[in-house]
Amino acid sequence: MIESAVAVKGLTKVFPIPFRRTKLVALRELNLEVAPGQVYGLLGPNGSGKSTALKIILGLVAATAGTSKIFGRDSREVRSREAVGFLPENPYFYKYLTGQETLRFYGKLCGLRGQKLKARTNELLDLVRLQDARNRRLGGYSKGMLQRIGLAQSLIQEPKLVVLDEPTAGVDPAGSREIRDLILDLKRRGITVLLSSHLLAQVQEICDRVGILANGILVREGRVHDLLAIENQTELILENASPEVLAQISALLDKSSTHLIEQRRPQTTLERVFLDATHPSEKNENRK
Amino acid sequence: MPPTLPKKMKTANDLDGKKRRHASAKSVVNSFVVKHRPFSFLRIAAITGNTLTELVRLKVFYFLLIFALLLIANSLFMARLSFQQEFQVLKDVSLGAMSIFSSLLAIVATAQLIPRDLEDRTIYTILAKPVPRHEYLMGKLAGVLLLLALSILAMSALFLVLLFVREHILVNETLRATASLRPEQIQEALHRLKASAFNANLFPGIVIIYLKAALLAALTLLISTFASSNIFTILVMVFVYFIGHLEATAREYWLQDHSSCGWLVKAFLALVALAFPDLQLFNLVDDIVAGTAIPMTLFTQTAVLGCVYTSIYLFLAWVAFQGKEL
Amino acid sequence: MIRWAIIFSLLLAFGALRLSIEAALTEQHRSAYFPQARLRLDLREQIGQLGFLAALSGFRSLVADVAFVQAHVAWERTEWGRVLLLFREATTLQPRSVLFWDMAAWHMAWNASVAASHDPFLTNNALRHKAQDEYVALGKDFLERGIKNNPDRPQLYESLARLYKEKLNNHAAAARLFARAAALPSAPERDKRFAAYELSYAPGHEREAYEALRRLYDRGEHERLPTLCTRLKYLEQKLAIPLDERAF
Repeated sequence: MIESAVAVKGLTKVFPIPFRRTKLVALRELNLEVAPGQVYGLLGPNGSGKSTALKIILGLVAATAGTSKIFGRDSREVRSREAVGFLPENPYFYKYLTGQETLRFYGKLCGLRGQKLKARTNELLDLVRLQDARNRRLGGYSKGMLQRIGLAQSLIQEPKLVVLDEPTAGVDPAGSREIRDLILDLKRRGITVLLSSHLLAQVQEICDRVGILANGILVREGRVHDLLAIENQTELILENASPEVLAQISALLDKSSTHLIEQRRPQTTLERVFLDATHPSEKNENRK
Repeated sequence: MPPTLPKKMKTANDLDGKKRRHASAKSVVNSFVVKHRPFSFLRIAAITGNTLTELVRLKVFYFLLIFALLLIANSLFMARLSFQQEFQVLKDVSLGAMSIFSSLLAIVATAQLIPRDLEDRTIYTILAKPVPRHEYLMGKLAGVLLLLALSILAMSALFLVLLFVREHILVNETLRATASLRPEQIQEALHRLKASAFNANLFPGIVIIYLKAALLAALTLLISTFASSNIFTILVMVFVYFIGHLEATAREYWLQDHSSCGWLVKAFLALVALAFPDLQLFNLVDDIVAGTAIPMTLFTQTAVLGCVYTSIYLFLAWVAFQGKEL
Repeated sequence: MIRWAIIFSLLLAFGALRLSIEAALTEQHRSAYFPQARLRLDLREQIGQLGFLAALSGFRSLVADVAFVQAHVAWERTEWGRVLLLFREATTLQPRSVLFWDMAAWHMAWNASVAASHDPFLTNNALRHKAQDEYVALGKDFLERGIKNNPDRPQLYESLARLYKEKLNNHAAAARLFARAAALPSAPERDKRFAAYELSYAPGHEREAYEALRRLYDRGEHERLPTLCTRLKYLEQKLAIPLDERAF
């Protein structure tokens, strides 16, 4: 049996407030499991404990109670992060380093060196499409570029698990699209992705499973498909349906206990219209 | 392939000609690119290099260095009395400038290292990699120590150049003035001049100045782990600098003077004696300038003490940082 | 909270451990270099608040330098009281600087005393003599304390010898001091000659002086300076040395 990428049991985190009796309970008995190769979305409003949970999983913060394991290793061990990449929320990197130098720095921290480091740096710069900006200082990068270089550094040591905290927050639609495409690419390569976001529509597209956190408690959890499916409804999308066919379907429905809720022309999304308008030459692929 | 892993799909989004790393059927633990080593110089060196690059860009560093260099060069123009006095003033001002500026630089440079990383959130990206916290601290401190070494080298180089130039000029003057005297008298005059100019003890003195700055850097690192702001850390360290010079006096009063003060005063003195470093021990330059020789044992003992101080403060900084919530 | 308590107690423990080592090192410092000022509180009165702080911060010798320069300026204005005070400050802060003791003594025993003998504000000769003597005594005191702090440097012995010779007319004491200087490893050649010369001027020490001069004479050509020859000749005649033993 292959062990989970992330296994969290009974995780509790309490922050004592200085000079006050009351404490802030950020997480309450959280149980979470992410299977390898999945894209898991941790959702919740601001202040629900998403970032805290991610930080505990990454060993940056110590839990008050409960355990957290990455590929079977306790999160508090430094070794457990051997195969983990992390992109924090709104990261700044060292502004005076160029894109290439940044990746080299993080690569060295992971133990990469020499030719391997060089090759990996080039590969990642290609992947996130920042080859042209490789010698430009990060101080001159746009927000989308910073997110991309952040994603690149999280992948520098070829991790098996990538943790992303609000990966598309504050990024324009084109950049956001790219990041989502990259996440899907990671999934295709078998890399597990754990992300947190409050941009629900975007999450819906790429996650396999989601967990919804509210006030530190996981209130809903499951496959996206299952959560979203409205149990007793079916959607049919027809092409070239003539009025006669529609009338026949309508008659069929009347005979059974099925009730027609709505009949309309499907709409495209505003995002697709925007992207087509602003980047007409680029192929927008993998739209779901 | 096990059912839980996705199939490989060839799509147009896949980049051409790049090797694709795909999940294998083996346990994921074995297929990491680089094995984690519990202690790695490469990691520390990466952080050290980065810290040095960051600090060299600090504008305050340039101001301090230029000011120190100006001060040293300026000592040439101070009152000319006798050559003995001139060398004494040159040495006093230069070594004094080196001492205070290296101490100041140590404090100011170290104070903002961790807070800045915390503010910018770069610390998360670093510690999310397999980097133990103690290596992070060691790398940061090593960066500062490297910076201090470079600064002191620059100031020493200027100082020594000035000393040699001055000595050369004065030797020529002396030769002209004593041309009519007997050779051994001329030799003696030159010998005196050279003895008051260059003294091999200057080098141990400068090493001790460096160690004092290193000690202050490590202590600043400790304070910065729990301080809420840069200014707070710097103020505390300036306070420590002054009290550190008084610590020896406090220690003496506490240990020897039994009758004259109440228990409250004694407790206060004990606190100062125990909690603060004794910085007076690292002021050997006053005596070097006067031309006295420093015994090797004293120098070694002081140097070792400086290293011990630095290590202990670094260790305490690690203890503080270990439990810090990021 | 607990973590801070642990760190603080570790800090205090470290402090306790280093107490004895640091006390020993400080003692080494003091005995070797800076015996006078255990930075007593009365030192603060001597050198002023700023000087005290500066001394503590490790700028002891710089403050001494400043005092020295100020003393020079005061000398140019013939403010002898101020010269004395500033030199006291400089020598207290930097007792290992031979220059300070030497210059202090020179200003007191030579410059100030001569100025006192011409002082228009001193109404009669007796007062002038008294002032002169006091200044010479101050100069002598500076040199004696300087020697106590720097027993290994010949310059101060030489200066004190000169003071005895020129101001106090005590050639025997001058000879002794020159001899002490000559015994030191870094002493110049002339000290032993001067010791012998002074001895030759001191009444009642003629025999001793003759022997010393003769020893030097026998060393070779490089010692046979004009003064040595003159004094040797004079002593040979005075002591009625047998003709065959004479050099001249």
